Amino acid sequence: MNPDSSIPASVSAIPQPTAEGNPNLQVRFKSEGGRLLLMLPPDVDSASSASTWSDVWQQLKQRLNAGERFWQPDTAVHLIARDRLLDVRQLQAIADALADAQLQLKRVYTSRRQTAVAAATTGYSVEQHSPVAHLNQGTEGGQALADPLYVQATVRSGMEIRHPGTVVILGDVNPGSSVVADGDVLVWGSLRGVAQAGAAGNDRCLIMALRMEPTQIRIANLVARAPENPPAQYYPEVAYVSAGSIRITKAADFSRANFLPEASSEQGRQ
Amino acid sequence: MSRIIVVTSGKGGVGKTTCTANIGMALAQRGHKIAVVDADFGLRNLDLLLGLENRIVYTAVEVLAGECRLEQALVKDKRQPNLSLLPAAQNRTKEAVSPDQMKQLINTLAKSFEYILIDCPAGIEMGFRNAVVAAKEAIVVTTPEIAAVRDADRVVGLLEANDIKKLHLIVNRLKPAMVQEDKMMSVKDVQEILAIPLIGVVPDDERVLVSTNRGEPLALSPNISVVGMAINNIARRLEGEKVPFLDLMAAYDDLFSRIRRMFRNSPRQ
Repeated sequence: MNPDSSIPASVSAIPQPTAEGNPNLQVRFKSEGGRLLLMLPPDVDSASSASTWSDVWQQLKQRLNAGERFWQPDTAVHLIARDRLLDVRQLQAIADALADAQLQLKRVYTSRRQTAVAAATTGYSVEQHSPVAHLNQGTEGGQALADPLYVQATVRSGMEIRHPGTVVILGDVNPGSSVVADGDVLVWGSLRGVAQAGAAGNDRCLIMALRMEPTQIRIANLVARAPENPPAQYYPEVAYVSAGSIRITKAADFSRANFLPEASSEQGRQ
Repeated sequence: MSRIIVVTSGKGGVGKTTCTANIGMALAQRGHKIAVVDADFGLRNLDLLLGLENRIVYTAVEVLAGECRLEQALVKDKRQPNLSLLPAAQNRTKEAVSPDQMKQLINTLAKSFEYILIDCPAGIEMGFRNAVVAAKEAIVVTTPEIAAVRDADRVVGLLEANDIKKLHLIVNRLKPAMVQEDKMMSVKDVQEILAIPLIGVVPDDERVLVSTNRGEPLALSPNISVVGMAINNIARRLEGEKVPFLDLMAAYDDLFSRIRRMFRNSPRQ
């Protein structure tokens, strides 16, 4: 695949970083001290609509389907619902979905009174906080990336995986889907959809795929398309930013050029 | 335990209803008691394809409203008494029914039938949710076109999120001659994207159109056409039988096409 230079015109098409920079936009699991935290996105009552109940529900199912072999049976799960309004039925649905993956919902953290009442009636321990956003610290200063997200699944058309860290996908990324990571994107399979690395602006992030035939790749605020004519043969490839544009090179050459000190000076001339 | 299978595709016009009618007929002829359910409220077609339009008295909506019993709404096929149709209402929209009602209806049906095939409407909105809510398995129908495959991929993702894990793929309307010339996606190309088990490949055939217009599913006479055989094989594979796939390419794989292919596949510079 030939490197494709960046297209400055489309840089503005990437909404930076208000939407993508928000680390809490999607459902995610986080392990902490032997238990799992299930973090729901905050309830934004705007037209961006990225967090209606059915979206949250689908994201939860996807994440559960994509990572189940890493969880020990009967791990306790603490649900961090933030300001999201959950009724008894929705809480029960979450608990059932977790139970299908052999996880146990134990405790619910919320800042909404109704959610706290619903959780208490369903029989979970509840911790209610005042609505001040003490869980998502302010945006001042640099923020450490989240733990890598490991997804074992085919990422299908219409799915979007956003993660404030590195994303590792064991499976294909199909056309019509997108993966947006603040860190690197590693695809152990075919990358045919849209991938964005360094979504928060870090242009040292990388996109790697065993078979690189993307609709589009983005690193930081640079955009590149796949070439018009597909190559005759595919190799594992790495996309990186060099001299202000996205370049793609064979994975074998990339590590030689970038990680061995004596070769790194030659890399700029290729 | 009866099997509840939804036939779906995302994109319209790829042959969901035709497949439902034909597979339903094939299963009925193999001696199974089967109900086909039209979940396409407002745009019902399944009754036309089965030639049962003029025998509909009540529909699913009347059953849910308590205006009639479920048995009264079921239309039994005269040619093949194992097959019954639960028609959708034509004068309502998809919002006339809720997923909970649909689930209840299908689960009641499941008590008296071995197989239930649900004909899903195109799209992924309310109608889709109604159709998949009670299903345990799904048949995903697609044609070898980029748009159909893309939509099928989306639907597979939604089915997985709805805990329907047992999926079967039908590649419909394949034109072997075009595949041979590299002008159409091959079954392998489709499978590479969708990554779900293949249950059948149905070639494109004008006779399907004739049979739909007449209301006589091709599966009624499975031995006169390749399509009929393909459908019958799908029914057998659904039953769990291992049936080898028909070699649709064989008739087009002559010496010249082999030579052409050899040149096409040679690496470019």
